[in-house]
This record gives sequence, C-alpha cells and structure tokens, in this order.
Amino acid sequence: MATVLERIKAVTARVLNADPAEIRPEHYFTVDLGAESVQSVELVASFEEEFGIDMDEEEALSIETVGGAAEFITQVCKRQGVPVEE
Amino acid sequence: MDEARKPHPLVDATEANLLEETFPYDLPPLIHLDAPAVEIIDGRPVEFDLPSVRARDICITDTTFRDGQQARPPYTIDQMVRIYDLLARIGGPGGVVRQTEFFLYTKNDRETLDRCRALGHRYPECTGWIRAVKGDFRLVREAGLRESGLLTSCSDYHIFHKLKFASRRACLESYCEVVAAALAAGIRPRCHLEDVTRADLDGFVLPFVDRLMEMSRGAPEELTVKIRLCDTMGFGVSYPGARLPRSIPKLIYKLNRECGVPGERLEWHGHNDFHKVHVNGATAWLYGCNALNATLFGFGERTGNPPLEGAIFEYIALKGGLCGIDTAAITEAADYMRSIGLPIPDNYPFAGRNFNTTSAGIHAGGLRQDERIYNIFDTAKLLGRPPRVALTDKTGVDGVAHWVNEFFGLKGDRRITKFKCHKLARWVIDQYEVHGRLTSISDEELQVQTRELMPEYWQKFKGQ
Repeated sequence: MATVLERIKAVTARVLNADPAEIRPEHYFTVDLGAESVQSVELVASFEEEFGIDMDEEEALSIETVGGAAEFITQVCKRQGVPVEE
Repeated sequence: MDEARKPHPLVDATEANLLEETFPYDLPPLIHLDAPAVEIIDGRPVEFDLPSVRARDICITDTTFRDGQQARPPYTIDQMVRIYDLLARIGGPGGVVRQTEFFLYTKNDRETLDRCRALGHRYPECTGWIRAVKGDFRLVREAGLRESGLLTSCSDYHIFHKLKFASRRACLESYCEVVAAALAAGIRPRCHLEDVTRADLDGFVLPFVDRLMEMSRGAPEELTVKIRLCDTMGFGVSYPGARLPRSIPKLIYKLNRECGVPGERLEWHGHNDFHKVHVNGATAWLYGCNALNATLFGFGERTGNPPLEGAIFEYIALKGGLCGIDTAAITEAADYMRSIGLPIPDNYPFAGRNFNTTSAGIHAGGLRQDERIYNIFDTAKLLGRPPRVALTDKTGVDGVAHWVNEFFGLKGDRRITKFKCHKLARWVIDQYEVHGRLTSISDEELQVQTRELMPEYWQKFKGQ
C-alpha cells in the first residue's frame, strides 16, 4: 500500500494538474502549487474520497501544506478506523 | 466637544454578546426609546413623550383600494375582496390594521364594499372616501357607512388654483357645510388635509382645524371629526429643528396640542417622492399621530405611499411583540399581488423575491455558520422565507453548499459539508470561467445539476 504522503501527492497532482514528482511536503497548496479557492475544496473532497473519510470543514481547510495534510489525514484515518500506511 | 470625550477601555470577552435584548431574531429588531425628544417651537422647548408609543393605541389604516388603486389599472371586485381578507389576516383580530377606505362612486365600488363587509371581519373597518361636496355625501349615507374621508385640500395651491375658490373663507365654509351634513347624518367625518406640508398653517389650516374642533364639541365621541394630515407631495421631513410646514413633529404639535386634536383622531398619510415615506410615517406615530395610513407594498400615486408591511414591522419593533399580527400573510399577499400583475421589485424589503438573497460568497459563508450574521431576523419563521443564496461567479463554494442544504431541507448536524458539493461548485464556476456566462443561475438549472452530480444525496433526500 502506498503511504499517506504518496497518496496525497498523487491526488494533489491530479486535482492541480501538477507533476507528482515535483510535489514536496513543505509545499503550500496555494502559494507553491497554485490552488485556488474552489480547488482547495476539490482537494479536500478528493482526499475524503481517496481515504474513505469525512473531514471537519474548518480543520481541513486550515491545513496549508502537503506535509501538514499527511499528518492531519493520518490522524483522521486513525480516529475513523481506516487503516493506512504511514 | 472636548467635554464629551472620555476613555473607552476594552471590555474583553470570550463569548459573543449578541445584543439579544435588541436583536431577539424571532422578532424584528426592537426599537427601545429611552427619553423624550425636544423641539424648539415658537421659541420654547417642547417635549414629546416618544417612549409612550409603546402603550399608546397606535394603528395602521389602509388605502390600498383608494390611493393604491389610483396608481394602477383598477382591481377587479374579486381581487379587492381577496386583498381585504389578507389585510384582515395581516392586522390580526386586535385590529392593528384598523380601517380601510373605499371609493363610493360606481356600482362596482358599492358591490366591492358589500362583499368585503359580507366576509364578517371586524377589522379593518370599512370607511368611505369622497370629495367634500354635498352631492358626494349622499353616497356615504346610501352605503350605510359610519365614517368617511372627505377631501379638504388645504394649501393655497389647491384652494385657489385647483378648486378655484374665491377666498379661503369661501373654501372653509364649503368644507364645513359638508362636515356639518355628515354630523347631522350621524356619520363621522375624516377631513383629509391634502397638501398640508405645503400649506399656510396659521393662515388656513389651524383656523380650519379649530373650527372642526368647535363643530365636534357636543357631538358624541364616535362622531367627532378626525383629521388626516396628507403629505401629498412627500415634502414632509422628520429632522429635528426643521421648519414648518415641512416639519412633521411641529405639524403634529400644532394640531395635537394647540388645536387640541387628540392623537386617536390624527392620522398621517404620506408619499415617497423624496424617499422618506416610511420614516415619515413612523415619525408621525412617535410624535402623537395614532394612525399611519398605508398601502400594501407602498403602491400609490406617483412614487407611492407608506408601505403597509413596513409599518407592520415598525409596529412590532415599537411594541416589542407581534400583538396578534400574522406576518406570514405578508408573503401570501406579495405572492398574490405578483400573480395579479403588481410589479414588486425583487429587492423590495420583506416582500421582494430577493429581499434576503445574497450573491456574495463571504455572505454565504457567514450564513452557513450562523444565519443571524446576514439575515435581518428569522425570516423563515416570520415570513416563511429562509435566507437564500443566488449563485453567480461571486458566490463561491459556500454559496453552493448553502443552496444545496436549503434545497434538501437539511439543518444542524444533517447539513452537508461544502466538500460534498464540490462537483456542483465546479460546474457553477465553469459556467462563468469556461463558458463566459453573464447571468445568475436559476434554481431550476441547479436542481437538474444536483440530480446529475450528487445522485446519492438526491436519492437519499428526494427519494427519487
């Protein structure tokens, strides 16, 4: 199973039309990867679909970086009983 | 100015102060009046007990069928009967909408009156409206009415240039002849002082009113002359310190205290030529006129009259409660009036299709978090109209999510997050950014897209 970070990079690349090899954990979704307002929502929605979880709106949209998303989603998966490769 | 200055230290808080004593939300915002107002009149300070409006028997009278009808093609009899029924519901059994007035000149006028009375409502009471000529007065007698308005135009514009009286005295005597006839026939005269905010008060109006008060002495209370102050051209102003004849506080003072006309026999009738019609009417209430004459949705001559539904919400705000008013009937009245061709603008307060619709994304976001942020009061409860979002390129995902939840009727914890609406949000944004759309998106279009893009939710909440 791919790690959480790898899966997040893949989803991000698909939603933002970017090269997954270029995406780093320290990258900001907006500033570095160019995510606009609706794309931020599409990213979170895609993460929910990818991992089979539901995320709190405020908490999810407060995550700014790829690495931060990996940490947050790992915690959510644990809370919601979804097995993941960290 | 330096004497008024004082420091204002922050009052820190960790919980919101929502000022619910003034903004209860289940009522319109309340108007708390703490102190009297003072006007300088004839060189002396005069106090007006504004807080007393809460206890005084203020009311609304209606002229939808008279002034309201002068501004449009005539209503049919059936339409007027329906509107009358709605007025009764709006005002409630306590008679907040106390009276309405009818023309009495044609067979249709008379049939309308008879059919309205046949509904059996105590309020609004039916009254007549005639010119101040003896020949018209028989119409009131024949209609069996107990009160009628008489047009007693009182500015020299009218006395000399319209009515062509030779003198003010000739005019006064002519009016008084009809008033005397009314009293003799047991009908209460209501003298409409047309164009009073452009009249020579000391020269004609106040002497005329003195005479009317004299004629009322000795008459039973229910026959004593009533006075309607008609701001025919919308010249009235509410501003403290304004000069007569435009000053509404001073006008009311002159009639109420100098001439001795009690508040329950004073009525205000306005027009909106200078955008002041609603506030002027409320000002009249505050300064001693018990009745505010209004029309449904403000339709009336030229720019219209005080909007009755505006007066209703002002009444509630001043009284601190509903007092038997059925505010939801306002929405029913608006829908009915639109159905018979009355053009209520979409952004018209309380009744327009979009009066509580937002297109701005930031407002939609606020609405989603707490409806009270961007909704004037509980419009769902009071008007059957929950706040809505109109989707455009400015509305954002918050707006789409708000629309979806309203469409599915989801509240509280059942509401769908904006993440679940992302496909619909993308569709909306692409309408503008990809397809160059310039118009807002209709509810019908959104329903079609919701069914296609959110099928699992459609199935769950629409069961189709």
